[in-house]
Amino acid sequence: MHIFHVRYRNTQGTLMRILSAVARRGIELPYVQAEPADNAHKVTLLMEVNAKQVGQLCRDWRAIVDVTEVRPGAPIKELWEQAHLGVAIPPESVAAESARSATA
Amino acid sequence: MRKGAQIVLDCLRAEGVDLAFGYPGGAIMPLYDALEGSGIRHVLMRHEQGAVFAAEGYARATGKVGVAIATSGPGATNLVTGIADAKMDSVPLVCITGQVRSPLIGSDAFQETDVFGLTLGLTKWNRLIKSIDELAPAIAEGFHWARSGRPGPVLIDIPGDILRASVEFGGPVEFTPPRPAEHVGPQSTFAATLIALLQQAKKPVALVGAGVKLSGAVDELQQLLDLLNIPAFATIHGLGAIHQSSPFYLGMVGMHGTRAANMALDETDLLLVFGARLDDRVTGEPSRFAQHAKIVHFEIDPGQLDRVRPCELAVVGNLAETVPAFFQEAERAQLPDFSAWRAVAGGPERDEPRKPGLAHPTKMFLQELFARMPENGSGTIITDVGQHQMWSAQSYRTSSPRGFITSGGLGAMGFALPAAVGVQLAKPDTAVLCVSGDGGFQMNIQELASVHRLGLPIKMVIIDNKFLGMVRQWQELFFSRNYAETDLSDNPDFVEIGKAYKISSSLITEEEFLDPSKSATVARRLDRFFRSDRPELLVFQCHPEANVYPMVPAGASLAEMVFEKE
Repeated sequence: MHIFHVRYRNTQGTLMRILSAVARRGIELPYVQAEPADNAHKVTLLMEVNAKQVGQLCRDWRAIVDVTEVRPGAPIKELWEQAHLGVAIPPESVAAESARSATA
Repeated sequence: MRKGAQIVLDCLRAEGVDLAFGYPGGAIMPLYDALEGSGIRHVLMRHEQGAVFAAEGYARATGKVGVAIATSGPGATNLVTGIADAKMDSVPLVCITGQVRSPLIGSDAFQETDVFGLTLGLTKWNRLIKSIDELAPAIAEGFHWARSGRPGPVLIDIPGDILRASVEFGGPVEFTPPRPAEHVGPQSTFAATLIALLQQAKKPVALVGAGVKLSGAVDELQQLLDLLNIPAFATIHGLGAIHQSSPFYLGMVGMHGTRAANMALDETDLLLVFGARLDDRVTGEPSRFAQHAKIVHFEIDPGQLDRVRPCELAVVGNLAETVPAFFQEAERAQLPDFSAWRAVAGGPERDEPRKPGLAHPTKMFLQELFARMPENGSGTIITDVGQHQMWSAQSYRTSSPRGFITSGGLGAMGFALPAAVGVQLAKPDTAVLCVSGDGGFQMNIQELASVHRLGLPIKMVIIDNKFLGMVRQWQELFFSRNYAETDLSDNPDFVEIGKAYKISSSLITEEEFLDPSKSATVARRLDRFFRSDRPELLVFQCHPEANVYPMVPAGASLAEMVFEKE
């Protein structure tokens, strides 16, 4: 499972475009949460994807006119392992940094 | 006070629009009521799909934004194929659709569809207008997104009550795009990196796509290619971007590309991609595409990078800036001499086997037509989709960036005839040749009425093999000749249909064309066809089972081309 955090300007249809990028690939979305964040909005998506799909989705999202930031999160499995080792689950910004370097 | 409809037209004029293609209906009637005196010429087509393809033709021929107008419900849904076509081929397009009155939205009212939702996945941006105050900002924003970056389609859906409402209008506004969250552009060291890659390469090649034309960087790229002196080839949308006389030009690449181009692409160790998106028609089997090559991708849309595999170097930006920037550095650098590789890549041993084959007469006929287009490259050839499209692309020999127009990414049959209307209106003083198959021509045949009414001197050719030809070819090669539902042998008499639309129409058979005793007569007929200042329709009846070769079968690599058998 992967977590993605997408920040966007909440204009007409932008959230739907973000979700459609997933739906068009037939990927199931077991968890989605959209909420205001600072001066914009943020949607968190959880889904089972492979490495190629991670790249495709991030590129598709970044191409959406009102998307301002895309952060792939660390795979859930790693988060669980860190938790079992007694390490605190890193906040979004740290997880995104480690994921970005892993997927670069 | 200005009505919403008037505001729409004022804003379109402010965006430089003087021509729009459309078809009226209930919800959009207020806009049509306001047309007179607006300064915008409306071109009535005979189907909304014809209108959007015509708008596309206009945009593809000029680089300006094409505008299509339709009513709600079925009018709007009839635009969808054209919108998808514009998205795939990066065509700047603004569609204005009427919508039912605001209180009725969501009630499944008469001629109501959720066109906003329907086009979310096909547009760069779209908007359902909720108040008259939104009109001017939305139109300004829509035009911005249609034109900027990688061009594409937008849609603005306007309820009828807003078109009828009135407001004190201060005039069209400008749209200020939000600052991008992160700067997207090439690294400052990209030129040095690319020079180093070229210095290490033994078999570099260049692939040129539509992006070169869209960015207006044709001359700059030619200058760079002249300097690099490496084998170069074009996608179907890149045709005309490289001078045909360039000694390094190997033709079109991909599924029906030239043998030389496909072999060079298969063997290369450094692939420079300029404004092409490496789609599957170009790559063949992606897992076996240019397996030995590092990829350097010049591209304005970051979403198109790393599609096949991660590129060695991404040069993100407008080619009009990145290509000259690289040229400046490359000019000063010590680059290897690739003449020997270029000679091998374009050598006679890489030509296709020269067998006449069944397709030979049709290709000869197309070459006869193309030879009669203006020598200065000012004419435009538009094709529909299918075998004739590939034969036309293979026969195209003009160095004209916007001289070859076709539906590439979507492959939408029925594109050519209405698109030709848009092209001819965009370029009234140039020759426009519209080549269709008998299947595709019938998909928007009603636009013969538009051609007649407008008196457009389009030269329309139907390559009539009485089959859905390309599908038949695949059935022959991959489905044991099971010609399921591709038989069009009961086609109507296209000459009589042309005459019914009051268009001068005639027929040439393949037998006549090949008969040496009739060659002078046929030549005179073709000359008259092109010299006419009226619309003309010419039907070429050809062998039903001619195939397009070379061909890279689905799942094969570019090196596994198939040629015509004896």
